[in-house]
Amino acid sequence: MKCLLIASESAEILFHWTDPEYQRNIQERYGTAQEEGEELPAFEDVLSTLFAPIIISSSTMEDSYTSFTTDDNHIYVLHQFDECLYIAVNGDGEEKEDDLRRKMHVMKKMVEVMFGMVTLSGNLLRKELRPQDTEQRTRLWKYLQGLIETYSHLRDNDQSFLVEAVERLIHPTLCEQCIEFLERRLVQQLNSSVERAGEEVLHAFILVHTKLLAFYSSRNASILTPSDLLAIIIMAQNLYPSNVDLDDPSPEEVESTSGSGPESFYTPEPSPSSRDSSSSAEQPARGGTPMFEFVDPDIQMAEDSLHTLEVGPPDPSTPRRIFLEVSHKDGLYPMMPHSMYCLPLWPGITLVMLTKIPTSAVAVSVYKYLEDFDKLEKHLREGPGSSAAARSPPNMHDVRSKMDKFIKALGPSELQFAQLQSVWTEFKKRAFARGKSGFTRDLIPWCKKMKTQLCGIYRHCFLSDLADVPQRLSLSLQERAQAMVQEKLIDWKDFLLVKSKRNITMVSYLEDFPGLIHFICVDRSGGQMIAPSLSITEHTTSELGKGPVAHYIKNKVWGLVRTTRHCLQKGYSTVTLRDGDFYFCYFLWFENETGYRLDSVDIPVLADDSPPIGMLAYDYYKRLLRYYSKKHKGETVKCYELLTVHLGVIPTEIILQHCRQLATKLWEPSRNPLL
Amino acid sequence: MAGLMSLDTRRCNYFFLYDGSKVRGEGDPTREGICYFYPEETPLDKQDLLCGQLAGVARCVSELSSSPVRTLKLRRCKFAVRMMADFFWALGCSMDVPTVSVCELLDHLIDLFCFYNGSVRQSYQLNSKESLAAQWAQYLSHMQSGPSELCYIFRCLRTIDSTNVDPLLLLKAALILQACQRCPLVLVGCILFRGRVVSTQMSPQLTMKVMVHESEIYTKTQKSNEASTSSSLGGAVSSTAVFLTTSELQYLQSAPVNKDLGSQSTPHKDDPPKKTRLSRTLSDTPSTESETSCPASLQPPQKLRFSPHVSESDDSLFSPASSQSADSPNPSPQPLRRLLSNGRNSNQTEEEVHEEESYRAGFQNKEDEDRQMDSQGDGSVFEETPCVNGGAGDGDAARGTAFDYRGADSGNEHSRDDRKAAGDSGVCCRKAKGHRAGTRHPPPLTFDSLEESPLIPMTLYMHRVNGLVLALLVEPRLTSDSASMEEVYHSSLASLNGLEAHLRAAPPGAPGASGQYVFAHYDSIQSTLKTNVSGRSGGATDHPFVRATSLLHSHFCDTETLQEAIIRNVSAAMYGTRSVAQETYFQQQGSLSRNWGIPSQQDSAFSLPSKARHRLLKHGVNLL
Repeated sequence: MKCLLIASESAEILFHWTDPEYQRNIQERYGTAQEEGEELPAFEDVLSTLFAPIIISSSTMEDSYTSFTTDDNHIYVLHQFDECLYIAVNGDGEEKEDDLRRKMHVMKKMVEVMFGMVTLSGNLLRKELRPQDTEQRTRLWKYLQGLIETYSHLRDNDQSFLVEAVERLIHPTLCEQCIEFLERRLVQQLNSSVERAGEEVLHAFILVHTKLLAFYSSRNASILTPSDLLAIIIMAQNLYPSNVDLDDPSPEEVESTSGSGPESFYTPEPSPSSRDSSSSAEQPARGGTPMFEFVDPDIQMAEDSLHTLEVGPPDPSTPRRIFLEVSHKDGLYPMMPHSMYCLPLWPGITLVMLTKIPTSAVAVSVYKYLEDFDKLEKHLREGPGSSAAARSPPNMHDVRSKMDKFIKALGPSELQFAQLQSVWTEFKKRAFARGKSGFTRDLIPWCKKMKTQLCGIYRHCFLSDLADVPQRLSLSLQERAQAMVQEKLIDWKDFLLVKSKRNITMVSYLEDFPGLIHFICVDRSGGQMIAPSLSITEHTTSELGKGPVAHYIKNKVWGLVRTTRHCLQKGYSTVTLRDGDFYFCYFLWFENETGYRLDSVDIPVLADDSPPIGMLAYDYYKRLLRYYSKKHKGETVKCYELLTVHLGVIPTEIILQHCRQLATKLWEPSRNPLL
Repeated sequence: MAGLMSLDTRRCNYFFLYDGSKVRGEGDPTREGICYFYPEETPLDKQDLLCGQLAGVARCVSELSSSPVRTLKLRRCKFAVRMMADFFWALGCSMDVPTVSVCELLDHLIDLFCFYNGSVRQSYQLNSKESLAAQWAQYLSHMQSGPSELCYIFRCLRTIDSTNVDPLLLLKAALILQACQRCPLVLVGCILFRGRVVSTQMSPQLTMKVMVHESEIYTKTQKSNEASTSSSLGGAVSSTAVFLTTSELQYLQSAPVNKDLGSQSTPHKDDPPKKTRLSRTLSDTPSTESETSCPASLQPPQKLRFSPHVSESDDSLFSPASSQSADSPNPSPQPLRRLLSNGRNSNQTEEEVHEEESYRAGFQNKEDEDRQMDSQGDGSVFEETPCVNGGAGDGDAARGTAFDYRGADSGNEHSRDDRKAAGDSGVCCRKAKGHRAGTRHPPPLTFDSLEESPLIPMTLYMHRVNGLVLALLVEPRLTSDSASMEEVYHSSLASLNGLEAHLRAAPPGAPGASGQYVFAHYDSIQSTLKTNVSGRSGGATDHPFVRATSLLHSHFCDTETLQEAIIRNVSAAMYGTRSVAQETYFQQQGSLSRNWGIPSQQDSAFSLPSKARHRLLKHGVNLL
């Protein structure tokens, strides 16, 4: 009973995802209100009708709704992101309010990664999320729905997505070799090839399931943020789901409601060469679950056949356009266009390359102008002396000459450019009128228009399909890259697949830490985590074994993370809990680069509806570090977290001693975790 | 009290009751439906907006999930919501108050209203909005008048500080109450002194309700003229009509078993009020409402004179005739019993024995039922059992679930209540002779959970001696039965005077020595709170404590297996622990060691448990 939808203020459904159960529930609810014999309208219209009162009421209230709960524990969480209202619903008790809020923020993050600065214009985003063409819409929505399901699955099963930090495979020598290989052989070769069509590989990394084996960034690349990296891992997992899950469908997954059994819906993973990454709407069903089992099989077939009628076969080598944060010397640029190549090496092992596209300079300019017009608008609206942004309006004469040049460089050939030019001309006429200053409140609508036009340019340059075609690594180049890495890793392949499931195990800690059951250690400055494996499936067992105890502990760990986040949100950075037969500890602390513990400051208390604490959707820790660094100028500050689960009978002094030892051992200066 | 209240308005932001049945058509203005809105000075437009939008959106959400909305959060305010028939209540508090507590506060408010006014629908049919608004305002102000901000988190009874009072006085108070019960028309009672409980035989919930009236009179200095049947006994005695729920009445009627335990420390936990609310044993059909739920102010005193007959008709309103004839071959067992218990019949003793037996039988049945419920994992009903057995202090495992009701999966509630209702009626059939309330059967097919639960009229008798008040819940007939009235009055008068003199002479409780630590100790069975948090305006130093308590209390409610927690920031560390019946919070004042953040044995935060154990012993809190 889960649902997530994005609606415009006029209650138009811009996107929706529901699990089959919720879909049935909604249809029944609507069906009863429906006259007999009438056909059910499209599902999105049903949703729109049923949710309209909530959406409209939400826009009427000055202090907007954040959540509802009902007597039987249905939870509704609402959040307004600019002009889009996100609503997440849970009716089966599997998710709490904070899970739903997190899911919405992750959805928002994925939309940003996919649409970049287009998200800054409500109007354009609406068109982008809900394409006029039904088929195109279905394809896009299916893709986004797949992302949500992939994310939810990872959040529920993968510790690195539980704490939102990247997990590395712990094998220092192999890791080093691979990084060297990526640097000296792969990236160098690709970047010196003529077949790269102006693209430049900035980052290359190898994923084994969700874990990072090796990561290389070229010298002139900016740092890939943990948030972006996690988002990319979700996308890669969505493309090539780990067959860990296919191995053992959980009981509820086997239980197919359509009665035709999961097999009939199971889509075998397409061979990589025939895979189109950019329009890959039809995701292989996760774990054999029919993702859209509510669709009548006949309709499904009809839809499938529609796909084959598409004009031209989709090009498998087409990269996916993604928008990532880039830090230049002169500042931070969010949502800069990149191309993502996701090349499967073997099932479970993937090579991901992120390239800079030749026209990315345009994005930088567009972002700067957007910022200028935004500042100007704020300045005009609030008057001087209010907020910091409004106090220092951009130098508009400077902007004027730059903008003129920018438009000239774009060339008037395209309709989009011509539109920008005409709006700009109009803006100039009003702003720089002879004799008097045109910078009054009357200019505000024109600032808005300029912003919309700029977003339009951005969309035109980086999102329209045509723009992609000439710029990308050639197919043969991609194949060569794939083959090179395959060759490098062929002997390690099986080892890696096993290793990824048992990266580190509790066995190695039992002797030194008697009574310790589990721990998670996170380096928040680097966005990395270590934890003994806790994968509980039919085929792989951790030290906890399988069955109820393992599940119980897993659930406890998940619950512990939720509780500690809640405490952190309220400003408490040390938490210990005695819960049943277990004793949980949580610590967050700061160190300088040499490992010296730094004095602490009080952590800000956040509102209940503030973005979730984590690194994926909203990097809480980055902000925390920035906040902390203000008080420790001139020092590089590191932030660490440690969670432990002990048997409750162990004396507290011993537990604290363990925590202390773990904290010092796990992140020794060598950065080679204890093993 | 008013001064204190104004400080607190920021915690309770809004309260309103909206009647959806008044706003059906397109053109109906929203304000037609607003029965009461707090704060009353809110501009009408804003009232319209809030009531209209919240009620509308809650209905939409309820329909979408086929379950009434319970909480509704805005960015800066959280509302507990109750939807019952066409009525829509919302209580909005600031975000610091735990959600579970806001829900309890709202339930308490509604229960208070029903206790003094009877059915809500009925009250609004018979009274003007304005007069009832005064009622709501009174309950709200009473709710906000707690001694510290902690009273928003824990619903607690204010008791006298027993450490300052001679224990013999408490015994004396208990004896007074028992003496009153010699009159069979007296059900239970409590003794209050200056707005604090000295001794009570009622459940904490019921005692809290009774105290509202007392404190109102206390502050209004006898100004009230409502429903008083001041008789020859003088102005010190007053009575007012009140309304009990069926489950409350059942507890009272099983009281004989507990009589010897009736002292300050033995109030047994009633069914949580929110359970009874959902009980579907009866629906308020219009015909029954018109008589049974007549509010106090309108009930002509003369009517009470015919009490046996009135009661009978009351009963027949509640119990379908068919069941009566089926269960009791004797066509009129009830009036007979009542006559007997009035003590006017020569067969009195024999009948009383019979009555005792039937009580016992009823109780046995109840126990059986409890046991049965226990096995079904129900945590709501059997809480009384330990108290009955006199084991009020021990850690009875069964009571562990007493905590559940706050965070309980309310999805179970429906079925639980169904079961309970069914169980009740089953028990009632068997003990029909002994229990008036027992004969109330659920009419078939009233499965609308949004209906109000049935309410049985009772009378609250109060006898005031300066700051001391004897409050008794009595059968309505008592007020018309002057002989019994005299008896009750005179039997207690002398003792009350003596008790009052002694209590007055007792030194006022020394204000909690605020110094090195703050603590709060909540007993959820007795609904009492011990704390050294000084007054609500204490502000700066206490506030972090309240905030931390609020946070941990929420987690204790959420996770039933959670027993202990320490949370820590730079300036403060708080230790919280809970057992099945108690929650204790302890915070050390002053600077903590600088060894903060990184795991360290030197961090003084981890010595809090032993410090708490040690320090709290002298407050009578044993954490061992």
